[in-house]
Amino acid sequence: MAALGRAALLLAFGLFAYALIAGSYAAWRKRRRLALSAQNALIAAFPATLVASAILLVALGRHDFTFAYVAEHTSRNLPLGYTLSAFWGGQEGSLLLWLVILTGYAALAVWLNRRQRELIAWTVPVFGLIAVFFSFMLCFVSSPFHQQVAPADGKGMVPSLQNPYMLAHPPMLYLGYVGLSVPFAFAMGALLSGRTDERWIVATRRWTLAAWTFLGVGQLLGAHWAYTEIGWGGYYAWDPVENAALMPWLAATAFLHSVMIQEKRGMLKVWNMVLVALAFNLSVFGTFLTRSGVINSVHSFSQSPIGAWILGFLIFTVAFSVVLIRWRLPLLRTKTRLESLVSREATFVYNNLLLVALALTILWGVLWPVLSQAVGQTRSLSKPYYDFFLHTFGLPLILLMGIGPLVAWRKASVRSLGKTFLIPFGVAVVTGGVLLGLGFDSSWAGLLAYTFSAFVVASIVLEFVRGRAAAGGIRRLVSRNRRRYGGYIVHAAVVLLAIGIAGSSAYQTIRENTQLRPGQSMEIAGYTATYRTIADVKGADYTGFRSVLTVTGHGEGFTVDPGTNYYGPVVGSSTEASIYHDPRTLGDFFATASCVTTASGACRADGAIDLTLLVKPLINLIWVGGFVFVFGALVAMWPDAVEQRRLAARYAAGAAPAGI
Amino acid sequence: MGASPARLVIALSVAAALAIFVVYTALAGAGVAQLTPSTVSAAKGSVILVGQVVGPIHVSGDTRRFAVKDIRSANTDRVYVDYRGSVPDLFKRGAEISVGGRMRHGSFAATPGSLVTKCPDHYAPAKSSSQNA
Repeated sequence: MAALGRAALLLAFGLFAYALIAGSYAAWRKRRRLALSAQNALIAAFPATLVASAILLVALGRHDFTFAYVAEHTSRNLPLGYTLSAFWGGQEGSLLLWLVILTGYAALAVWLNRRQRELIAWTVPVFGLIAVFFSFMLCFVSSPFHQQVAPADGKGMVPSLQNPYMLAHPPMLYLGYVGLSVPFAFAMGALLSGRTDERWIVATRRWTLAAWTFLGVGQLLGAHWAYTEIGWGGYYAWDPVENAALMPWLAATAFLHSVMIQEKRGMLKVWNMVLVALAFNLSVFGTFLTRSGVINSVHSFSQSPIGAWILGFLIFTVAFSVVLIRWRLPLLRTKTRLESLVSREATFVYNNLLLVALALTILWGVLWPVLSQAVGQTRSLSKPYYDFFLHTFGLPLILLMGIGPLVAWRKASVRSLGKTFLIPFGVAVVTGGVLLGLGFDSSWAGLLAYTFSAFVVASIVLEFVRGRAAAGGIRRLVSRNRRRYGGYIVHAAVVLLAIGIAGSSAYQTIRENTQLRPGQSMEIAGYTATYRTIADVKGADYTGFRSVLTVTGHGEGFTVDPGTNYYGPVVGSSTEASIYHDPRTLGDFFATASCVTTASGACRADGAIDLTLLVKPLINLIWVGGFVFVFGALVAMWPDAVEQRRLAARYAAGAAPAGI
Repeated sequence: MGASPARLVIALSVAAALAIFVVYTALAGAGVAQLTPSTVSAAKGSVILVGQVVGPIHVSGDTRRFAVKDIRSANTDRVYVDYRGSVPDLFKRGAEISVGGRMRHGSFAATPGSLVTKCPDHYAPAKSSSQNA
């Protein structure tokens, strides 16, 4: 079995190498049949990587501990779902997941665009290049098919990974990270072939959108997992590994916006190339960060020599993108200029500027420990640094979401703008005033976030109302321009996120480590929590306690039961937070408790606990926003026959493709 | 190549973003020093200590006292950490941690709530941990 897996990976490696070498030669010398065979090699490699993946999955499912990987990451008593999730629980399996997703994407994207011969001729070798690296790693450096004499049982899985979220969170992130290689490969293919018109953008628009959606959903799942399972009451900690997923997402967000300018007005060609290269390289950088352990992170998985390999690859891809863009600069020059600062284009440029500035400041923060080490002492940047730039660059971004959609292309007249913005501006001013009166000025960032959010919501609603009147119905309106209205729905989701984040961070209340005995109570943000009793709990592999508290306030009465599970000396204990979702405030009442111990480490007989309570207003809007986000993205991605016809007509009118 | 006012404003905006960044990092952005047990002893002011927990963990009330050493290093320097408050689930002997605080009378007085442990992707029982380095 393992031998077959190794053979499949070797075959895939050979096919990728062929796609790279023969494909490059064919594209360079314009050998059409050879190019076709390189393309077929790339597509044929997909089943080979699938076979390798299937073998690893079967080995996991059968507890075949002759596979070192299986023994290292699972054990016999592990439930099947988690056993299979060990596929991406370790390094070798993660690399295989990278490769299988990459080849799946590449095969499908190349096949769907097979008629664009010139573009594809160079895209195939670029895909080949990326895949050669990952398959090389899997064949020669970090093989998931390493064999050994089977031990009686495997080492098992860390309890914190035995969690339903871990079934979905890592694959989602990988689908996102790897998905960014599709627009990258097409962009580099366009540069190499000299077809620097917007075809590569049109060909990859949905791929970028899908990758971006997966990346966003993956991060939200991770945030929700951290919030409900870790028990510290937060969902994002500006940890390098979390930032590693956020940065490419920000770059991809900028890219999704700026390509519209190139499609509509033929501008920003160089910029789009830079952005797509930035997004892809940041996703490789993210893989490097998570796998190398160079930067001190809560998540630094295993420190291993593959970090150096990925760093080498990253340096290569950065150099590759820079050299290609520099080389094709003359082809990327545009005649169109930005005509006015009061135009849709200008708002998009500002949006890009802010998104990229945010991504780069985060990158600086992530790299700072390494950079400062190089000049002396290792220093690290934390929450205040990130929060400052999130506010400085993020708040204007929210505002722009409200302005952009209402400004005309090319050049808008200031007078018409005054009329357009009257309602949203009024709504924002009234909202801001009311919030100020209610005492929301305890956080200026929160106040601004809410006020700007009101502005955006008003302008989105206005757009829908106006459009519906013209189109005669919401459904017809949306189907007329799915991309645009899907975009507005995503904007609404971002507003929900912003409100939820601002509410749960700027306006949260925390009471930490208050010692209570049964019968005592404490107050927090209008709630009164009374500690009733402590109860022992016992599960299959743990013992623990739950403290029962009754809570009243804000017209609600409910019970929470925070506690701790203890899994023995090797695994340790696990905090079991108890969260009540208050339907009236859309906020959460969040409780964790640890029992006060005696000198011997046992819980004290009088049942005293250290209670930590958090009240996090509006936090549930973040998760609601996640669903709206997916819905909006789907609307924008949905196949559109009208658009296809329009594009077909446009290309038919253009230069007839010269055969290669 | 007549420079349009739009381009000028955008160039100025880029410059402004850069200026904000430079000013902020100059004033407040140097960050907190990250030190290892072998280098922390001379540290002044608040720092972040990164190391691996060794030896027994003494618990008294809600305060823990434990030693840390450099991660993956033969260096034998140890620093004692005094930490008050709850600890993450993964905190135990052998865990790699990062904790904020300052040196006081030769041991590290940690800031409550600042202790984080790294998530391992390997679950290695303590006995066999040397096998899968």
